[in-house]
Amino acid sequence: MRFILRVRNLALASLALAAALPAFAQDVKIGYAIARTGPWAPGAQVTQEPNYILWAEQVNAAGGLSVKGVKRKIELVAYDDRSEMETMLRTYEKLMGTDKVDLVLPPWGTGANFAVMPLLQKYGYPVLAPTATGRKLLEMKNPYFFAMLQQPDLMMGALAELLVSRGVKTAAVIYVDELFGLENVGALETALKAKNIRIVEKKSYPLGVKDLSPVLKDIKAKNPDAFIGVTYPPDTFLVTGQSKEIAFNPKVFYAAVGTAFPVYQQKMGATVEGVMGLGTWNPKSNPGTKAYFDAHVAKFKKEPDRWASAHGWAGLQILQQAVEKVGLDRKALRDAIANGEFDTIIGKIRFKDGENVSTPGIVSQWQKGEFEVVWPKARATAQAIVPKPAWK
Amino acid sequence: MGFWLDLTASGLITGGIYAVVAVGLNLQYGLMRIMNIAHGEFLMVGAYLTWWAHTALGVNPLAFLPVVMVVLFLAGLLVYRVCFLRIARGAPSVEVIEARSLLVSFGLMYLVQNAVYLAWGADLRGYSFLTEPVEIAEARFTANRLVVFAFALGASLALLAVLRFTLIGKAVRAMMQSPVGAQLVGINTATLHPVVFGAGLALAGVAGALLSMVYEISPSMGEPYTVTALIVITLGGLGSAAGCLAGGLLLGLVEAFGMHFTNPSLKMLLSYGVFIAVLLARPKGLFSK
Repeated sequence: MRFILRVRNLALASLALAAALPAFAQDVKIGYAIARTGPWAPGAQVTQEPNYILWAEQVNAAGGLSVKGVKRKIELVAYDDRSEMETMLRTYEKLMGTDKVDLVLPPWGTGANFAVMPLLQKYGYPVLAPTATGRKLLEMKNPYFFAMLQQPDLMMGALAELLVSRGVKTAAVIYVDELFGLENVGALETALKAKNIRIVEKKSYPLGVKDLSPVLKDIKAKNPDAFIGVTYPPDTFLVTGQSKEIAFNPKVFYAAVGTAFPVYQQKMGATVEGVMGLGTWNPKSNPGTKAYFDAHVAKFKKEPDRWASAHGWAGLQILQQAVEKVGLDRKALRDAIANGEFDTIIGKIRFKDGENVSTPGIVSQWQKGEFEVVWPKARATAQAIVPKPAWK
Repeated sequence: MGFWLDLTASGLITGGIYAVVAVGLNLQYGLMRIMNIAHGEFLMVGAYLTWWAHTALGVNPLAFLPVVMVVLFLAGLLVYRVCFLRIARGAPSVEVIEARSLLVSFGLMYLVQNAVYLAWGADLRGYSFLTEPVEIAEARFTANRLVVFAFALGASLALLAVLRFTLIGKAVRAMMQSPVGAQLVGINTATLHPVVFGAGLALAGVAGALLSMVYEISPSMGEPYTVTALIVITLGGLGSAAGCLAGGLLLGLVEAFGMHFTNPSLKMLLSYGVFIAVLLARPKGLFSK
């Protein structure tokens, strides 16, 4: 009889254990949809998804994600959105509505983030978006959306400050006919006006343009001190190559998105020397960025970009710190992110109405193979070279 | 005067790029009515092969052109055998070939694209080659763009000559006009058909190789080029080698002058404006008979 009782107790105990075990060891499910194919993929695969994979791997290697002190492994639930807005939205709807994953990570790009914001609010999932910029997004006043990147007025303001400190009096501007171009060129005009820099030419161009030399020749004839291209990656390459082609070499040559991509230098070689653009960091910024850079290169055999990649990593750091503090209750998580201050590889970050109000506008410049931070002085890793050397 | 020359030249060079993109599809669709919507994807494969050979093996991209041509030609024979042979053989009319090949090549498009994603990933790639400016009559152009232009001119003229003056050219045109009639007069359509298709793919590959010297590349780069190619060959007249060149150059010129005198953002409006105007005046294209 005693034997039978013992067996029964053992069986009950193991049952209880079996029931309890999954609760302890259950993985934290983190879902996202991002472009692995299609036109968004080059950006998403340089700047964003490698961060997610590297982060999950590092956290799991250290025992797991600390949820209020309890370590739980991360399980990424990832889908290819094929660069389609519809697919992206449906995937997030499924992740948050049906699968009820614990957390979601943002998709790539301003447009996709703009589109997914209402869903985030509907289901109450906070995200820290590293590749979405524009006051239009913040004006939505979505309590669950946090923008990691500096806003256009900050980036263009920093550029104007740098220009005026180096005696630039005139500038010529081209910009891409998209939300990004329009908002940035607006911010740029305001910033230049405040510093009394005259705009001698301002022209827009469409995405997918294959030749900008007619415009660049016009601009060259007006001989501005600075050329500022509010450009997207393919056109960033195009204006650089064609300015060299027609020997248009202003004192300052600035192009926006894409200058921070490693492929910019890989493709253009020594030509990029002296070109300025949107950036935030490089491996020399601090020990944290160095460690991040090295881990990224070791894992993926490719470098992260020198602007938004680190913002993406910083967003994951913030998420991790907030989960450690308040766990996976998403409302509490949102409040913790909204009201806290966090240590990241790009410095301390605090949010106000969803905007990162801690990271200043920054200008970087290619110098001898590195995208050096040249403005503001507090973050600089090198002195700005003005005038820019002749095209090589 | 220098200014007009400058603008004309840059328009012609961009137009040359458009013509190069269209040459291969002109053979396949223009002459054989195989609506190869995966044209841009094969162009992308040519670009990737060249990029890979240059960055990984250090091969000169120009010296690699013949290799790309042969590889894509053989791939073309294979693709024809697997995908288009039955269509070409079983279809009762050219319209049916057109419709069925469109569907098949739509699938091909995804296959090829995803194969490249698997092989090389989604990142932007590129290399620097012949970027030194060349000065011609006070206008400056990068050497790689001039190479593309020269190739566009050369390929179009060669194609024109082959189609017009050689027996093979005559056979191809006969096959196009009436497949059955061509067989009756002793033309071996079973050989000629795949060869012309393969040549189309080879030209797409070479176009991609040339473009990789000028622009950066990614697995999704193909689609816009397919659209450009379709516009150019429709503008020029299906199957016309001269029309393909003229159509490309016309588009390039319109863009260069349009961008200068109006605004670059109107580029699309101008190009499609010309396209519509030509189609209204000559519904079958500039050089149709």
